[in-house]
Amino acid sequence: MAEEPSRVMASESLLAAWIKWTMDFWQAMAEMGPGLAGVSQTGGKDAAMGAADGDSWLSALKLWQAFFSLMTEPGTVTAVFKGIKAPSEIILKMAQAGWEGYFHLHQQWLEGWQGDGPQAAALHYENLDQDIFKICNEIYESDFSQLLNLPHLRLTCLSQEDVNQAMDKFNQFQAAMAEFIYLIYLPVKKSLRAMGGGQGNGGADERPSEEFKEYYKRWLKLLEGHYMILFQSREYTGTLSHALNALEDFFTAKQKLTNDAMTALGLPTLRDLDEVYREMYLLKKSVKEMAKKIDRSGLSPGEG
Amino acid sequence: MDRPKIPVDLILAKLAAEAEEAQYRLEKARDILMGPLETDIGTTPYELIYQEDRVRLKYYRPAAPRSKTPLLLTHALFNRETLLDLQPDRSVVQSLLKEGLEVYLVDWGEPTRRDQFLTLDDHINGYLDNIVDFIRRRHRTAKVNLMGVCMGGTFAVIYAALHPEKIKNLITTVAPTHFDTPKGLLHTWLKEIDVDRLVDTFGNLPGNLLNAAFLLLNPARLLLDKYIGFLENMDSKDFVENFIRIEKWIFDSPDVPGETLRQMVKDLYQQNLLVQSKMELGGCPVNLAKVTMPLLNIYGRYDHLVPPEACEVLSLRVGSKDTEDICLDSGHIGIYVSSRFQRELVPKIATWLLDRDG
Repeated sequence: MAEEPSRVMASESLLAAWIKWTMDFWQAMAEMGPGLAGVSQTGGKDAAMGAADGDSWLSALKLWQAFFSLMTEPGTVTAVFKGIKAPSEIILKMAQAGWEGYFHLHQQWLEGWQGDGPQAAALHYENLDQDIFKICNEIYESDFSQLLNLPHLRLTCLSQEDVNQAMDKFNQFQAAMAEFIYLIYLPVKKSLRAMGGGQGNGGADERPSEEFKEYYKRWLKLLEGHYMILFQSREYTGTLSHALNALEDFFTAKQKLTNDAMTALGLPTLRDLDEVYREMYLLKKSVKEMAKKIDRSGLSPGEG
Repeated sequence: MDRPKIPVDLILAKLAAEAEEAQYRLEKARDILMGPLETDIGTTPYELIYQEDRVRLKYYRPAAPRSKTPLLLTHALFNRETLLDLQPDRSVVQSLLKEGLEVYLVDWGEPTRRDQFLTLDDHINGYLDNIVDFIRRRHRTAKVNLMGVCMGGTFAVIYAALHPEKIKNLITTVAPTHFDTPKGLLHTWLKEIDVDRLVDTFGNLPGNLLNAAFLLLNPARLLLDKYIGFLENMDSKDFVENFIRIEKWIFDSPDVPGETLRQMVKDLYQQNLLVQSKMELGGCPVNLAKVTMPLLNIYGRYDHLVPPEACEVLSLRVGSKDTEDICLDSGHIGIYVSSRFQRELVPKIATWLLDRDG
């Protein structure tokens, strides 16, 4: 059955409007966030590093935009809604745009490893620009987390609310762990850059050592130094606490879910067992104290 | 673009030159790894002579006893006591036996969820005190020698302050007593941690979480260099066996009872009460001035877990007039597994104890 032209038009405009809104949103995000736009508020060396991170973001954004600007072209949308009758042209266009964006990202990644990219502030872990994690977290909390925390009408016995809570806490835990792992990886990146940039020991004109072991030993020493500085920074303890809190929240939410299931099956929950353990502990303690008193009075009858 | 900054070309050239040797080594390593390996730990024969709940006491009998006073060793709750008997030729327990000392070793066991309510008081005034009383009765002696390892040393100091009449000589090895120092990473991290939240969530501190925390103290060495060292030496059977023994020990941290952890973190790491003699246990003040018995305090100069700053203050704060500090050129575990420690320090400990055995 042929589709009505008006319905196709409506779908097209709806999709185009949604794509335009998405692009505007991400464009605004890029302009708004210092980490995204590559301009650090902390200035100096951090700004350079922030710019490097921001570039990656902008590349990703451009890749995203490249896809969607193609999708908003009237011809493309029509083709999509007609069952994709001109696939080769669209796929070629999209592949080209995608490949360019991917190539740019890959190049930046390589530059980061080789040290050709913007130099990171060596031996410095204060005021790190981790806006990517903060912004992702804000987006998650404002857009997605709310959906998982919608109040539920308890029409069924299944506690969907707890499932959603566990999912929400799991997502937050994953995000916190990603941030923590990124922080742990930073010294590797910085020390490799420093070695590439001649900060290993012998100045800017330093040639890599002929002896790989020597080179490795110097890098390892440098890496240890970076870790020591990172581990003593406020950023690290803050991120560690955040990751640990997220793990605890997820564990609690998961436990609640398990408790619900155990209750539904008529089995004792962990909370029930903990109460029994506490009673046993107190009982045992008082018995031991009494036994000790009797033992003491047995050893020295005069005191009893 | 100029030549790459990471000398991949040099690495490849080097690898090609060493290919033949590498092939030979790999073949040898394959034979070793696929053949029989002796990787058991804690193999020195012992008698299990006392048990209370999960806590056990191991007794090691020397061939020729020289000391009148038995020696009780207590390890930390965070790791296994097998560190002191890790491999046959480098065993602290065996070295002490060779010196003619009667050795008792506390095995804190495997805490489960039912142990989560056990407090620091239960461990020190309960289990440890009962063990000391048991040894005193067994040997018909009023006092025992007490040696504490790592946090077990902290327990030993607290015990000695609460029950000085039962301890003849006190030895602490890499035992933290002063926790307000930025030198130890663990000290810095534990200051920030919300221990109430942690204990209320998990009950006990999971051993796996503890293992991860220990690895993060020095990731460059513990997650990378150590394994590169293994790859370089895996054609040596002795090296492989000893490496696996240490791996077994490192990744075998038991869970830590929650309430004990809560008090340790709050009173020690966060408020540093012990060294100020402001700590309380079971309603009694822990006054370091009451530690009047001879004290031998041993610690490692390069210890990243318990830095010298966390150990050296103890001798100044105790009431004893007979104190000695020994700072070794070693790390935290090196003290117990290095052959130098077995050769030099264990005889020193034995001589120090025998001199005060009268």
